[in-house]
Amino acid sequence: MKLGKKELILLYTNLVRARKGDEMVVKGIQEGKVVSFYHSGQGSEAVGVGVCTFLRPDDYLYPHHRGHGLAYVLSKGASLKAFLAEHYGRATGMTGGVAGFHGVDVEHGIFGGGGTIGSQFPVSVGWALAAKKNGRGQVTVCCFGDGSSNRGTMHEAMNMAAVWNLPIIWVCENNLYAQFMPIKDAYAREDIADIGAGYNMPGVVVDGQDVIAVHEAVEAAVERARRGKGPSLIECKTYRYRMHSEGAPDIAHIEPRPPAEIEAWKNRDPIKLFQKRLVDEGILKQVDIEKINQEVQAEVEEAEKFALDSPQPDPAILPTLLYTQ
Amino acid sequence: MRELRFIQAINEALREEMQRDEKVFIIGEDVQAGTFGATTGLVQQFGPERVMDTPLSETAVAGAAIGAAMAGWRPVADFMFADFMWCCADEVFLKAAKWHFIHGGKVNLPVVLFANIGGGARVGPEHSQCPESIVMHTPGLKLAIPSTPYDAKGLLKTAIRDNNPVVYFYHKRLGGTMGEVPEDEYDVPFGVADVKKEGTDVTIVATSYMVQHTLQVARELEGKVSIEVVDPRTLEPLDIDTIVKSVQKTGRVVLVDEDTKRCSITAEIGMQIIEKAFDSLDAPIERVGAANMPIAGGYMEQYVLPQPKDIVAAIETVIGRKLL
Repeated sequence: MKLGKKELILLYTNLVRARKGDEMVVKGIQEGKVVSFYHSGQGSEAVGVGVCTFLRPDDYLYPHHRGHGLAYVLSKGASLKAFLAEHYGRATGMTGGVAGFHGVDVEHGIFGGGGTIGSQFPVSVGWALAAKKNGRGQVTVCCFGDGSSNRGTMHEAMNMAAVWNLPIIWVCENNLYAQFMPIKDAYAREDIADIGAGYNMPGVVVDGQDVIAVHEAVEAAVERARRGKGPSLIECKTYRYRMHSEGAPDIAHIEPRPPAEIEAWKNRDPIKLFQKRLVDEGILKQVDIEKINQEVQAEVEEAEKFALDSPQPDPAILPTLLYTQ
Repeated sequence: MRELRFIQAINEALREEMQRDEKVFIIGEDVQAGTFGATTGLVQQFGPERVMDTPLSETAVAGAAIGAAMAGWRPVADFMFADFMWCCADEVFLKAAKWHFIHGGKVNLPVVLFANIGGGARVGPEHSQCPESIVMHTPGLKLAIPSTPYDAKGLLKTAIRDNNPVVYFYHKRLGGTMGEVPEDEYDVPFGVADVKKEGTDVTIVATSYMVQHTLQVARELEGKVSIEVVDPRTLEPLDIDTIVKSVQKTGRVVLVDEDTKRCSITAEIGMQIIEKAFDSLDAPIERVGAANMPIAGGYMEQYVLPQPKDIVAAIETVIGRKLL
């Protein structure tokens, strides 16, 4: 699909929403309003936005854990209000305030947000299997980080999905660090995408700071999966600006992450890059940029107010959530 | 009434539920052949899309089953040996058990996690465990553990129809046992214990293959002591009321389960009896279980697993006299 002006502006707006939403959660942590922890996704928003903005509502998504999936779930249709309310421990949150931080939205096909890194792979095979059995052209998108790729679960799941030719897109957000562990000390090759060859599927590397590059790679893989051609692996090279989680040291092993490295990546900020491109192409003017900023700012502030105004969950619901009838 | 082998009763339950509901499918390693006969013959009737042989990947099998269940299907995942479920502990104890909750109650996980348990085959520490205590301990998992062909079929049908994750453990030494199974449709509800034998002197709560050991002991001691045998049939939900009612009648209790005795389900059931019926007890509760060590293989197995003589000794302790 050739993206028109409307779609390009939607991508841009989603990038800004993801950034400002993330900044709001970080602020909420600093102000003691967030009752959970937070793993900021600032710097890598182009991946989630590029992956999810044009998925179908009935496609299944396991969002990446960084930013608790914010860039992904917002782009797939989830509500920022519910996302913030969950982090603020409110009954209007994504899980009703009982799970703390999991960015799920069943109505939009967004499952998971599990607590164990690497557990996204096996269940995603299940959704892809269901997608195939359903026969409605759905796909599953399973997102993971460079750290997740160290788990054995990835092998089992990628192998099974390949053998069964399931409609699944594996999207790796390689931000160079698994908490404090540099990828170069945890993975023996340069590109995680190379793993695709071992499972008889395409493995491509894309610039994770370029939302269009991410979108195009995902679109091709989704199209392939919908046509019954099976899985694909996409590795997005990206970065996180902030520490692993709010309050944690910002280190590689035991040393600070190199300031020059952080600076270099900030110079390739996904929002600034895309904004420049849209301005250069005459799609956005300064006035449009300011208008989008204001609208998103209003959305974020309204979402925060909604969250803060919402009640805490009634503890009486807890026993009702153990089983369904 | 017609008699079936335990494993045939399981097979019949699977066949009937697959006929009844096209969302039901079986997934696991070598389920088309059926390593122990539970799923044998089903692929011929339902095809490989519904009886899915998988790569040797317990984690992916469990994940695929759980994910498909979340998306509206009703898988039965066969792990062969319950020991192998350790490989996919994340999927069983975090995903299956907690994801209804984590999704705010908005997704259901109608999945059956099916495996054989127990010793007796002398196949060593990693093919012989009875991991019911860890399952019962985990909020969010139901646990069915039949001891007869009738219960095996009826509980499995209920498990498949349940909208929650159900762990279904059948003992490998029960597979060949015969028992009455009606040809007419029936099921066995969860949370309803069955009094396998009535008695007045001692209540024995036993599970799975230990029910057979206990009934054998009760028959041998007939005339010397009157034993009531209660089989909970499901440990979650647990029908503590039927157990307490029996304890109130007999005043003496022996709890028998093949899992490692320390922290076993008998510890939980014993404590619940104390909480609910302490005044009815005429003697301290006795427990019988496997020794606190790996289940040995070969000729050593018998020294680790609970034997009928251990049940006799426990009965003698609670009644305060020798019987043999």
